[in-house]
Amino acid sequence: MAKELMLSGCAAAAQGAKFAEVEVICSYPIRPYTAIMMELSRMVANGELDAEFVHGEGEHAQVSVVLGASAAGARAYTGSSGVGVTYAFEVYSPAAGGRYPLQMAIADRTLDPPGDFGSEHTDAMSARDQGWLMGWASTPQEVFDNTLINYRVGEDQQVMLPQFVCQDGYFLSHIPDKVVLPDIAQVREFLPPYSAPHPLSTTCPVSHGPQIKPDQGAVMDAQRASTFLIVPEVIEKAVADYNRIFKRNIPPFIEKYKMDDAEVAFFIMGAHANTCKKAIDQMRAQGLKAGMVRPRWVRPWPTKQIAEAFQNVKAIASVETSTSYGGAMRGGNLVHELRATLYDLEKRPLVTSFMAGLGGDVILFEDFHFMAKILNQMVKEKKTSKHVYWIGFEED
Amino acid sequence: MPQAFDYQKQNLPPIKSLRHAPREEMYLPGHRTCAGCGPALNYRLVAKAAGKDTIFIGPTGCMYVANASYLCTPYAVSWIHAQITNGGAVGSGIEAAYKILARKKKYDGPFPNIIVMAGDGGSVDIGLQAMSALMYRGHDVLFICYDNESYANTGIQTSPTTPYGANTTFTPPGKMIPEGKTLFPKDPPQLVIGGHPLVKYVATTCISYPVDLMNKVRKALNYDGPSFLHMLSPCPKGWKFDEKLSLEMGRLAVDTGMWTLYEWENGVYKYSRLPKKYKPVGDYMKFQGRFSHLKAEHIAKMQAFVDEKIQRIKAIAVEAPIPTPKKKAR
Repeated sequence: MAKELMLSGCAAAAQGAKFAEVEVICSYPIRPYTAIMMELSRMVANGELDAEFVHGEGEHAQVSVVLGASAAGARAYTGSSGVGVTYAFEVYSPAAGGRYPLQMAIADRTLDPPGDFGSEHTDAMSARDQGWLMGWASTPQEVFDNTLINYRVGEDQQVMLPQFVCQDGYFLSHIPDKVVLPDIAQVREFLPPYSAPHPLSTTCPVSHGPQIKPDQGAVMDAQRASTFLIVPEVIEKAVADYNRIFKRNIPPFIEKYKMDDAEVAFFIMGAHANTCKKAIDQMRAQGLKAGMVRPRWVRPWPTKQIAEAFQNVKAIASVETSTSYGGAMRGGNLVHELRATLYDLEKRPLVTSFMAGLGGDVILFEDFHFMAKILNQMVKEKKTSKHVYWIGFEED
Repeated sequence: MPQAFDYQKQNLPPIKSLRHAPREEMYLPGHRTCAGCGPALNYRLVAKAAGKDTIFIGPTGCMYVANASYLCTPYAVSWIHAQITNGGAVGSGIEAAYKILARKKKYDGPFPNIIVMAGDGGSVDIGLQAMSALMYRGHDVLFICYDNESYANTGIQTSPTTPYGANTTFTPPGKMIPEGKTLFPKDPPQLVIGGHPLVKYVATTCISYPVDLMNKVRKALNYDGPSFLHMLSPCPKGWKFDEKLSLEMGRLAVDTGMWTLYEWENGVYKYSRLPKKYKPVGDYMKFQGRFSHLKAEHIAKMQAFVDEKIQRIKAIAVEAPIPTPKKKAR
């Protein structure tokens, strides 16, 4: 029977892994994602979940252990935060190139220095080009949903890719919210047991990951790129099945909030979207036609859906929770992708970016109102006079 | 975790002589290793001893780059590449997967021999952390360090097992550093024995003694839990000797005390082929171009290092006979 609980993002991720009946788990402590592994180790210890729980000796080992497990045919789960995410970097490309559909939960965290526990998207975003599926949740419920949806998409035989299932550290990972836990029979209908097409086997010997010659490289790259072209179809089908089986109404690619008649809009990822929506309600009460688009995926990037959502908007605020020092817009990462997405629109909206929520900073209502003021000014002046604003550093 | 679950552990019988060794090859010809390659022969013997129910993990190194060419790999059993850093971790994951798949009845064959075949760098340098963690956690995996005493794949750079005095492309002898490499090597088996309570079996081998080698592989695999083999694999290119002398280099290494064949089983040492009278280390070094720049004082330093090691062995040695090939079979 389905039941409703108050769960933090970490607890929701652990429940997601439990309902996915993961078979090999590899842990290493780092805040804030650690709470996921604390939950899972408890479940394994008390027999709630039959899985091999391996204490990895670091994040690099965590991803390596689950890579091996996935290669042998098991459903494998790991996770990390902050510098842990970057410590494992070497193994991301082999995991994706080897087409191992393992899952890594990331409760994001700022990178050093200086040491900071706060949430920031830079850790995971720096791994976005490693060939994994990737996306952020905005509520504990969505963390749970994404855990199952990502396994389903990643394990699709046409896809076969690992998945970063991200959530904002602390804002999501440590603040409880209502989560509906389904019936295990429903989950099994949605997510059948993992069956690896070519596992490391004693009866049918295979070689995984041999050396290629340079002229074979482009072929494989093209194959991986074309896989990402079909992932959207697989996501669409998976989310439709999810909504049908669990009686939900999750948008497959992007969440739109009051976009139907929006003239200015926010583009924002993760838990800060919740504050953004409340701020939009306040703006609407003041007569400003504001809206919001929140991508649920970074890879594959929902190009078509984002472009469509913004086609009638005059100005967009890209809210950056990551850094891309020295990048084209001198601010964050998202705005690069956003601007490229909108380039082919007939009526191209004005786009600027706001560095906000860095180092675990809260993005306040007043910050969104400040952004709205800039957007209004841009609409009036019909131009983007600055590419990046640093929230808290700008003159009012 | 149900302790009592029967994972169908294999039990490989000892091999009496080369003639009794399995005929089936699990590491086939067609790879691109150098003539006289010690690690390739080592691989062949390990694969032969382990048999068909085996999974190899091959961290980056010579035995990756020269063997596993796309569409043409020499492995007749399953094999997976690992990074040079993470052979131990990938092996751990494979073992964990087979345990849960067996428990869930998704796999019902004999528990595979899971073997990490790492070079010296992948074992005790950049791969040390993953290897040690595997040993500590007690996975049922055999970790092999095939030691050719350098990063040979990248063009012979010094590794922690490169001997003192060796000329490598990172330790070239010069006016200021006449002996080339100035450090003495790490001791891989002692690293494992020293701090991993779940390890019950550690041994050293040399390709020049193939029956001893294969039996140690089988013994290691038969142990339930982690085991470690340190396997001397002479490298004609890296050590700069005539490629027809690969086996002779192994014998001379043992005869001079540069290499010692032993087993460590549940805390007890057994040495084999301990020479009654050791040859001087110069007899071994003179065939190898990597030592050709050394002066008498450097060779004396090497001799002192080996003499000290021999004294240590004598203090704990319990010589035990091991099956060795008869002259005819050789």
